[in-house]
Amino acid sequence: MRKGLKLTDILVTIVIAVAFGIVYILWGSIYYSVKPLGLHVDQLIYGMWFIAGPVAFLVMRKPGVALLAEIAAASGEFFLGSPWGLTVLLYGVVQGLFAELVFMAFRYKKFNMSVAVLAAIASCVGSVLMDFAYGEIGALSLWNLLLFMIARFIGSIFFAGVFAYYLVKVLEATGVTNLVRPVSSKDYAALDQK
Amino acid sequence: MNVSSAETWLHKINPSLKLFVLIVLCMVALFIKDLNYMINVTMGVLLLFLCFSGHPLNRILLLSIPFCFIFLSTSSAMILFGQGETLWFKWGLISITEESFMRGLLVGFRALLFAVLGLTFSLTTRPVNLFYSLMQQVKLKPKYAYSFMAALRLIPIMLEEFQTIRNAMRVRGVERKKGIRSLYFKMKAYSIPLLSGSIRRAHRIAVAMEAKRFSDTRNRTYYYEFGFSKNDHGFILYFVILLLAGLYLSVQFPYLSI
Repeated sequence: MRKGLKLTDILVTIVIAVAFGIVYILWGSIYYSVKPLGLHVDQLIYGMWFIAGPVAFLVMRKPGVALLAEIAAASGEFFLGSPWGLTVLLYGVVQGLFAELVFMAFRYKKFNMSVAVLAAIASCVGSVLMDFAYGEIGALSLWNLLLFMIARFIGSIFFAGVFAYYLVKVLEATGVTNLVRPVSSKDYAALDQK
Repeated sequence: MNVSSAETWLHKINPSLKLFVLIVLCMVALFIKDLNYMINVTMGVLLLFLCFSGHPLNRILLLSIPFCFIFLSTSSAMILFGQGETLWFKWGLISITEESFMRGLLVGFRALLFAVLGLTFSLTTRPVNLFYSLMQQVKLKPKYAYSFMAALRLIPIMLEEFQTIRNAMRVRGVERKKGIRSLYFKMKAYSIPLLSGSIRRAHRIAVAMEAKRFSDTRNRTYYYEFGFSKNDHGFILYFVILLLAGLYLSVQFPYLSI
């Protein structure tokens, strides 16, 4: 078998990601409508921006897909004219990379909710690291920083972990995932049946 | 929506080079900790955006509105809740200090810089050109580049499908629920058909491309050819001068003493 992603895998991943890119753009306005509430309530919904990686991986179940999806979603958001501009590209690469590392740590063999949640947490860590460089959040007062982190972690576990998992679960019911997943030994066994 | 624009020298720059220079500038900006310097660099980039994007001024001003929000929202948290020694104002949890105020402005200007750079890029670059150029100059594999281009073409179809689902729900008299449950229902009702439809379509496109012998070899011919020109030198020179002159001015004529 040839190594690496095939054209079909790449195209499907990128299309899923671009669809999420549109969601990311729309999410920006929701983010700003929540922002005035203050006290980092907005961080609770920040997790939505990590969802493309886990969803794409859970759908495709192949190596490299999570990273590609998060980059593609970020560039889709970028091309559609995100007000954050180049920020989203840099963040996207880091978030995708961190999610990918989690899936890699499980040798791309686990597709359950806990691995999705772990990937979400990893993406969140990546984004927080970026925030230390970009937003200088290390200089916030301690109580404020803690509030910020807790809100963001809860949000990412909910959106990019739990929500992503159930979204793919429902997608599986439509049968569409069978198109793109790698064949398993079960599929071969089905062929042998007389 | 009519988004046509005049061609300026920014349009003629090699797209890969443009992206590369802007990303490098963003990386550099992550390490600029001096407020005066940051202000100078941001001004230089704003100048490019306002004068050379080739779009009419009223559209430029319309597109600038979100920038104000970004500036305010990014800097406000740091100004109100940042650490610092020299206290200016305190009210409950809010404490504004000189250090937090300056750092808030720095963060705000950095966000502004990133935003303006990004918008300048997307206003002056066609995505198709970028991917053709990435294949030719950066040797991006064609299967990635063409997948991106195909996906971007699908965006209008996705929006159309979104509209169709909405109309279908209206025609069938789907009841409007309220609160969190309606949000959940809506997310499910829209995202599942949109996603599954998109996956099926993407799969069909890929099968069709392979059936037509889409090859991933790099020595292929291109409909659009990209090289380098004088504009590219000018572009790099602009940012080199901006970074040096900005540094010089920030040392010699600072706006704020820190």
